[in-house]
Amino acid sequence: MARYAMVIDTRRCIGCQSCTVACKVHNELPVDMIYNPVTTVGPTGVFPNLHMVHIPLLCMHCENTPCVDACPTGASLRREDGIVWIDEKKCVGCKACVMACPYGARIFNQEKGIVQKCDFCLDRVEKGNIPRCVQSCHQKARIFGDLDDPNSEVAKLKNSHHTVRLLDELGSKPSVFYIYGLEARMK
Amino acid sequence: MKRNFDFEQEGIQVKKSCCYFCHQNCGVLAYVKDDKVLAIEGDPDFPTNTGGLCCRGNIALLHLDHPDRINYPLKRIGKRGEGKWQRISWDQALDEIAAKLAQIREEYGAEAVATAGGTQRTDDWARRRFMNLFGSPNGFHNSHLCWIPTFMIETAVCGWSPFEIDLANSRCIVLWGQNPGASNMPEMHHLSELKQKNGLKIITIDPRFTETAAKSDLWLPLRPGSDLALALAWLHVIIYEGLYDPVFVENYCEGFGELANHVEQFTPEWAEPLTWLSADLIRESARMYAMNKPGNIQWGVAMDQQGRASGAAIHARILIRAITGNLDVPGSDLLTGPSLEFITDEEMEANEYLSEEQKAKQIGADKFKLLTWPGYSKIAEMSKKYWGKAPTAEWMCEAHPPSVFRAILTGDPYPVKALLVSATNPVNSYGESKLVLEALRAVDFMVTCEYWMTPTAALSDYVLPIAGALERPTITSSYGCSDFLLASQRAIKPMYERRNDYNFWRDLGIRLGQEDMWPWETVEDAYLHKLEPLGYGSDSYDEFVEYWRFHFPERQYQKYLDKGGFGTPSGKIELYSSVLKDLGYSPLPEYVGPVENEIDHPELAKEYPLVLSTGNGFMPFHHSEHFQIPDVRFLNSEPYFQINPETAEEYGIKEGDWVWIETQRGRMKQKADVTQAVAPRVIITQRGWWFPERKMEEPDLAGCLESNTNVLTSTRDEDCCPLSGTWANRGLLCKIYKVDSTEQKEDN
Repeated sequence: MARYAMVIDTRRCIGCQSCTVACKVHNELPVDMIYNPVTTVGPTGVFPNLHMVHIPLLCMHCENTPCVDACPTGASLRREDGIVWIDEKKCVGCKACVMACPYGARIFNQEKGIVQKCDFCLDRVEKGNIPRCVQSCHQKARIFGDLDDPNSEVAKLKNSHHTVRLLDELGSKPSVFYIYGLEARMK
Repeated sequence: MKRNFDFEQEGIQVKKSCCYFCHQNCGVLAYVKDDKVLAIEGDPDFPTNTGGLCCRGNIALLHLDHPDRINYPLKRIGKRGEGKWQRISWDQALDEIAAKLAQIREEYGAEAVATAGGTQRTDDWARRRFMNLFGSPNGFHNSHLCWIPTFMIETAVCGWSPFEIDLANSRCIVLWGQNPGASNMPEMHHLSELKQKNGLKIITIDPRFTETAAKSDLWLPLRPGSDLALALAWLHVIIYEGLYDPVFVENYCEGFGELANHVEQFTPEWAEPLTWLSADLIRESARMYAMNKPGNIQWGVAMDQQGRASGAAIHARILIRAITGNLDVPGSDLLTGPSLEFITDEEMEANEYLSEEQKAKQIGADKFKLLTWPGYSKIAEMSKKYWGKAPTAEWMCEAHPPSVFRAILTGDPYPVKALLVSATNPVNSYGESKLVLEALRAVDFMVTCEYWMTPTAALSDYVLPIAGALERPTITSSYGCSDFLLASQRAIKPMYERRNDYNFWRDLGIRLGQEDMWPWETVEDAYLHKLEPLGYGSDSYDEFVEYWRFHFPERQYQKYLDKGGFGTPSGKIELYSSVLKDLGYSPLPEYVGPVENEIDHPELAKEYPLVLSTGNGFMPFHHSEHFQIPDVRFLNSEPYFQINPETAEEYGIKEGDWVWIETQRGRMKQKADVTQAVAPRVIITQRGWWFPERKMEEPDLAGCLESNTNVLTSTRDEDCCPLSGTWANRGLLCKIYKVDSTEQKEDN
């Protein structure tokens, strides 16, 4: 069984938001719904000594899932391959998971009355394709694959670079790993 | 690409198409069934984008059948700009337009018909072919702002513009006024890749802390418009610190002594107050480029957009490459010359059919000689002698756009009665928008080929529906000047009654007695003709795309060794340029300050104390496009300008405040982005803005002047570059003040 994960190389991300739009189009989301925002931090500092970094955000596909635990209907699930997804037929739109998710990754769809989120493009991954945001990224800042496969790019990157997981202190154990600039270079 | 899309469903075809929302033409795979595009994705096998698409590329299907697209020929039935249209047939439109053009030619001469173009996203060799056969020299684009002055000045000095950068073998790249992080995704990808793999040094020269600056080894935030001073100071450092390549200079350059004498005065200390950069930083950056060889200086539009200082700045930049020997050697900037293997755009233009008498009438040719027939003829002749072919005349040899707009209004030097507009919205994309708008209102007869009802289209007599992304084949070849090409096919036939711009020019030409000159019924037929000499043996253009897709000749370095020198009159790189001298210009880059600056114009600077730069690109828009599409508009839904917190505080401006920005030409408003990304006293505005969600009626025309940065730019003859005629988007002086909350919408 695969263990899907994503490495995001922030050294490469330029904040173009191609992934954001690709995801919206792929998932046919209403204009006000985004699974996959890119936040820009900066420029920080004082002109001309500045720094700027872009951090793409998405569902972290945690190993310990507060969202799944919060779901009263069993609509939210974590699959054996690590993908956290929502069975839309079972979702009643109670938003308990929205409250529970520490990453703000779950969004209530007003039109459908259900909660939705990134599922690593399950429909594509099941057919052996990569998620839409990964394919769309010119910069190759997103790398997707199977962590259990030591030859996968995602496993190689994770094993050779210092990576961080967002809000790791919560113990949620995300499957999304970030490479930051300087720390990575020093390693 | 929609969820659960079945790639393998019965009857589906995969077409090798391309994105058409900027010049990169990234490869796109289109999944087509029954002549409908069901899904698209970036083509992983395409050499530039390798599967990536930017946010614009991803919304191609929303663009394709957007409810606001123009789908049928329209004829104006109300007053101009009133928004009353009648749907007519293409035959009726073309018959009536042809009759009107014939009448104007009869009455005023062929030169009374001008054409305005936009970016290179049309088959404009066909436009030139039409105009040459019609007899008018007055075609133009706003390409003065985009590479064309660079190409022509570099060709004058070196015999060809070294625009092919051999990045894979490079150790250092200078991004001078370029921000590939927002404008050239494939390039940015390669830069990141090479930086990580090879330790490529990146120097970014830009007044803004851009996406690209943030990834660079060195960032030079110069005063907007001071590029010339910086380039001259770099020449000084490289020469007087002995960092130039003495062997290359000795053997392959002419005029080094004159250049060394000329730049002696331009010390980094001299440049410091002009560029707002420390002399140390100027030295450090010049050394980084000159000592990390081989290296590249990537072209960016910044130098093309500085008005009177543009020509000298471009000239100085090419000299930096030349004296460091960073020309045509592995890892440097390569002079490929035109393709000798396929038929170039120039060979499709029928330039020989335009009489000398008509060429002499080209508007602006008397003032700005390099990008008009006097300079182009000279360079074309030189190029033919050395390479065997000339650069494209469309783009490189055009009427001076601001002078044509003025001629419409004044009749000087002669009346211009008709304007054929294709793929441009001049109100928002040409300089001095108020003047342009007046000219568009005043011109007797106007036809616009468009996707949308733009402010310009709204003022037209006829609006014709044009095929866009996925509906048209495309050959990508750097304004027809590259020795390689990338070919893409249309995914589907044009929807509704849309047609290729090629067919507009052809069908119009046939009605005006040019039938013998248009043997290619479709643009694919014409493309196949262009490709035939390559010898791939394809029976159709589509077959070429499906089997070959592109043609890259083997890279040849140091061609000057075999060819016995460079393609200039002396056979050497002419640091002291005989071509420019013969045209009446200085053979060396002379210093001239930005169009408006505090040193030359202290009085003006009292009233307009801030320094303005306009026109840089930003995601997700391209020029004045894509404001209609909510799925990208949400990323940047309103116009913003950048201002440093220190200056904002001085003016009592807070983040998000609407602020008037005013120059001598007028004012427009944008919202404040208070950011450290720019220096105090610098204002940087976004380009292109109009508001398709508003009513497209006179006088507001969807707010086409309200937040339009080109209201601020200057196109006066004395502000234009004397060589190229390019106008001033950068290095201007402005003042700002908050929009009064009680103030109503600006009535323009």
